[in-house]
Amino acid sequence: MSSSTLGYLARRAAQKERVRILYRRALKNTLDWAVHRHLFYCDADELRAKFDANKHVEDLDTIDRLINEAEASYEKWQHPDPYIVPWAPAGSKFTRNPAPPQGVEIVYNYGKEESD
Amino acid sequence: MATALRIAVLRHIRIPVQALEGFRPASASWNLFRGQNRSLSSHGDEHLEREEVVERVLAVVKSFPKLDPSKVAADSHFQKDLGLDSLDGVEIVMALEEEFKLEIPDKEADKIDSCSVAIEYIFNHPMSG
Repeated sequence: MSSSTLGYLARRAAQKERVRILYRRALKNTLDWAVHRHLFYCDADELRAKFDANKHVEDLDTIDRLINEAEASYEKWQHPDPYIVPWAPAGSKFTRNPAPPQGVEIVYNYGKEESD
Repeated sequence: MATALRIAVLRHIRIPVQALEGFRPASASWNLFRGQNRSLSSHGDEHLEREEVVERVLAVVKSFPKLDPSKVAADSHFQKDLGLDSLDGVEIVMALEEEFKLEIPDKEADKIDSCSVAIEYIFNHPMSG
């Protein structure tokens, strides 16, 4: 396999990864904007249609340009207060109630197990 | 005067104190946590069983509209076995995140491309619930 083919494949793989991650972020962003689940389904279908519209583009530079445009649009429409799972970084429960050090535990009958 | 009287009265009052042996049930059932130590934190004290993870992952994948539910098995690859494309895989991973209340980083979510990898990842994740 020639080096140009390898370069082509590497560039295609990088583009595919960029598209997957962009789609994932955009889908999450759509869910943040939709206040109800049934609204989210319509918005998600629209988003998917936008991605599918350029599914068969072959030219590498055109693909790069399309991805750059889509990423710019994603950046522009990012939700200011996205939903974050509570325990995750920036979530409402992040570092609250963290795991105690090893060996610290509650003993419920206060050391009187023998006398019961 | 009143203070001195009060102290004198209190010195002479005796209230008998005794343990009510019959009051506390002697059975083990009064203490739910007898013999167990409960963790102080809600982090990582319950883990999902592997069978439950497998069952729920497969249920999520089977409910995806673009595939044939009868083809889904615990080792199915989303693209090779189930005939999905890469964006469908992204959608399935997001559905799994919602099912198990997880937040998977983008780069790690990108590597989940089959049922077996998803089961392995979710089973080993301390916060999956």
